[in-house]
Amino acid sequence: MVVGDIATGTEVLVIGGGPGGYVAAIRAAQEGLDATLVERDAYGGACLNRGCIPSKALITGSGLAHEAGNAEFMGVHADPAVDMAQMIEWKDGVVDRLTGGVEKLCKANGVNLVSGTASFVDEHTARVAHGGEGQGSESIEFEHAIVATGSRPIQIPGFDFGADHVWTSADALDADSVPDRLGIVGGGYIGMELATTYAKLGAEVTVVEMLDDILDPYEDDVKRIVRKRAEELGVEFHFGEGASEWSEGADGGYRLHTETEGGEESTYGVDKILVAVGRQPVTDGLDIENAGIETDDRGFIETDDRTRSAVDHIHAVGDVAGDPMLAHAASKEGIVAAEVIAGEPAALDQQAIPAAVFTDPEIGTVGMTEAEAEDAGFDPVVGEMPFNASGRAMTTGHTEGFVRLVADEETGFVLGGQIVGPEASELIAEVALAVEMGATLEDVAATVHTHPTLAEAVMEAAENARGQAIHTLNR
Amino acid sequence: MTVEEFRLPDVGEGVAEGELVSWLVSPGDRVEEDQPVAEVETDKALVEVPSSYDGTVEELFVDEGEMVPVGDVIISFRVGEDGAEVASDEGDAAGEAAGDEADTAPEPDADDDAPDAEPETPAGRTFAPPSARRLARELGVDVAAVDGSGPGGRVSEADVRAHAESGDDAGADGDAPEPRPAPTPTDVGSGDRTSAVRKRGEDGAAEPSQPAASGAAPEPAGRDTTLATPATRKLARDLGVDVDDVPTDETRDGEAFVTGDAVQAYADALESAAAEPAPEPEPVDLDGTAAATAPTSGDGTPAADETVPYRGVRRTIGKQMERSKYTAPHVSHHDSVAVDALVEAREELKPKAEDTGVNLTYIPFVMKAIVAGLKEYPYLNSELREEDEEIVLKKEYNLGIAVATDAGLMVPVVDNVDEKGLFELAAEVRDLATRARERKLKPEEMKGSTFSVTNFGAIGGEYATPIINYPETAILGLGAVEERPVVRDGEVVPAPTLPLSLSIDHRVVDGAVAAEFANTVMEHLEHPLLLLTQ
Repeated sequence: MVVGDIATGTEVLVIGGGPGGYVAAIRAAQEGLDATLVERDAYGGACLNRGCIPSKALITGSGLAHEAGNAEFMGVHADPAVDMAQMIEWKDGVVDRLTGGVEKLCKANGVNLVSGTASFVDEHTARVAHGGEGQGSESIEFEHAIVATGSRPIQIPGFDFGADHVWTSADALDADSVPDRLGIVGGGYIGMELATTYAKLGAEVTVVEMLDDILDPYEDDVKRIVRKRAEELGVEFHFGEGASEWSEGADGGYRLHTETEGGEESTYGVDKILVAVGRQPVTDGLDIENAGIETDDRGFIETDDRTRSAVDHIHAVGDVAGDPMLAHAASKEGIVAAEVIAGEPAALDQQAIPAAVFTDPEIGTVGMTEAEAEDAGFDPVVGEMPFNASGRAMTTGHTEGFVRLVADEETGFVLGGQIVGPEASELIAEVALAVEMGATLEDVAATVHTHPTLAEAVMEAAENARGQAIHTLNR
Repeated sequence: MTVEEFRLPDVGEGVAEGELVSWLVSPGDRVEEDQPVAEVETDKALVEVPSSYDGTVEELFVDEGEMVPVGDVIISFRVGEDGAEVASDEGDAAGEAAGDEADTAPEPDADDDAPDAEPETPAGRTFAPPSARRLARELGVDVAAVDGSGPGGRVSEADVRAHAESGDDAGADGDAPEPRPAPTPTDVGSGDRTSAVRKRGEDGAAEPSQPAASGAAPEPAGRDTTLATPATRKLARDLGVDVDDVPTDETRDGEAFVTGDAVQAYADALESAAAEPAPEPEPVDLDGTAAATAPTSGDGTPAADETVPYRGVRRTIGKQMERSKYTAPHVSHHDSVAVDALVEAREELKPKAEDTGVNLTYIPFVMKAIVAGLKEYPYLNSELREEDEEIVLKKEYNLGIAVATDAGLMVPVVDNVDEKGLFELAAEVRDLATRARERKLKPEEMKGSTFSVTNFGAIGGEYATPIINYPETAILGLGAVEERPVVRDGEVVPAPTLPLSLSIDHRVVDGAVAAEFANTVMEHLEHPLLLLTQ
């Protein structure tokens, strides 16, 4: 390795190899551009290494164990034992395969991979410090840059992530054993997914949330179903309480202290404390001001619908560019960034970005809720299909939840959908397609769906909105 | 009192829009029902738009000269505000009624900023699949301005294309991508990234080929792709030079390679060339919009080109001609007929016609002769309906008569020529032509022709290649009746002749039939007595 500073040039410099960055780099290369991807840690970003994928592995593992042990009603009697270390090992194997795959894909597409930490020198130069002492650094001159540095968990006062018993979501996905008692600060989607997971793995879970319910942006009937199920699993909720500090407990564990707005204090005995109050953009160390870019109050880089920052040839994609902080949004933005740089008429013109929460039951949403449609000036019509009327849902043993479609009454265009229930994260894809294509309720209702499947509920909800449902009473 | 909006009514079958030529009222004017409020020029006619309300003009929504789609709000009226007028209608109850209305009527201005047009989707949302939206960006079309043909008005790719071709989006703001300089990929498809990424030290390793001698502007190389390092590209950008234009002899991997020195040299050469006045080709201003760059006139002052809007009648004619010429394969058949007998016949009938106030021209004779030909050769009086795979042989003989007007060509129609006498035809043609020139024709008076005649000879000329008045199948053009040399009994003698130019749609009719039709017409013009049989 050469010590010192060597200069190279590239057409497109991508900083950060997560689902925004690696996708952008590959598409840029496919467009015939010379693309260089700088990653300081592991390809795949938080999504593959510390987020989506690891959490889904544990959610599946814990769900399987829980299902197997709770299927007496089907005549299945079992008492599964979970080897947490082995489950984590399996999860790591999955992650390794995926991150290795990303690296191979990048190389196969001709992306120049550089490992190190990038920072801007000026608006056409970045310096990459290779990891470790004496590893040297290099300057990269670029014509265009795509900042895809992602986000990290927000730390709150009194809960230093340095302490062993204070967990980030990443720690919770890498634990070698299940704590007896898990305190979770934050009832958002990350908190709720992990609350469900650890409850199923046998932990006593306590969730403290400042607001008066879980899963803030979702509709009440959606929240209620997920909260009820979590309560059945033994999760204890304390709403209107903010976590203030922790202290050591007499029993060898810790005490999680909370405080209401009115100053009322409570403490809960825990062994680990997961802080899941949100994520913040990673721009520190990037020296982005050297490129003439300023971040907003919350540290995000503002971008336009072609992912350009205030400096035209520097784009930002993914979490660092603000909401929605979702991997699939990042990938879409990455593709648009690369295509815009290649001179293609690409833009972030999607009608909606779907979202999924992998609680029990799952939540899948896309587009507008009824209230949002009304606010937007539509005259919404709504159709629902409860899963307790679905034959397939009954045969899975999971009949909580519903499919709801929101459409414009006059034109029939599907504006959005909310699904709570088994496989909601998968089922929402069809609704997303309908929204994106400008499909009408009739289009969805007239599309023959396989029987017996959960997806039939989408068709049925469309029929319901048209007052033509067969298996539910029409509203 | 309420404010009533008034939309541009359907002023004629098939008319989708009209140019609002002039307002006949202004805000504050009192109007009565049926009183004309505006003049709108549509499909070849100037139409007066009458008010549907008694009231006062509240607001005009359209400027004179603007194109207005049928159904758009053009004007609003304040209705029933005037106590006196209400009184005249309703007597004693007036005061009370006015009072009531004041209480219950909606805010007069409530609708002002939302003159709700078609079923508009809220929040600027357009329902179109991603493929159509991308196509719209590619074509520079504002997808929100596209009329969707799908259910609920969903916009398809075909709709976007149709919109782009109609050119309705020209100049519209909206979502069209701003033109941005696209980067030039330096190693397209080669997969060999070393060709583009170089160590900085390699820059300028080779001598640039020097551009042309100073004084003359260097010739831009104008390549499609050029290899250059980012630093060189940046230099080119800074100097305002396109690297594709920089001359070079150097190549890398078979592609032209440009160094920083070459860019600098080219930029310098450009600058020195610009410093000395050298004859430069004027930018060609195809659409005549950039008056500033117009060529200079003799005295050295810039002579500004004049821009004339391509709208209204001119555009209608243009579209119709384009449709005809690009749809129907035209064949023109030329012949001429000696018309001694016709000249005599007309001379004889002329005084008689004048007695009844009719100016007898040759046109009525030709019209009758055409009908004779059409009866014998019905395919020339037909319409090809390609989609139905049918040729419709028309049983009416309605002749369109092309009339040149100040605003452009108009083709009023004389119906049932076979049932009308010469004088009657003469009177009708004259009336239609006069009103066409005054732009007073009604749209329905320009519909329904089955064959058309154009008298180009009235202005001058012997032969022409007329364009069919689509969807008709044929058109007959007439030259001027003049004495021309003809051969009779082996001798060249002067005789009044009428040159004829017949254009046919070769999809429907072949040249032989066209010639036979022309012969029949000529026979009737040569022997006008035959017209009596018609």
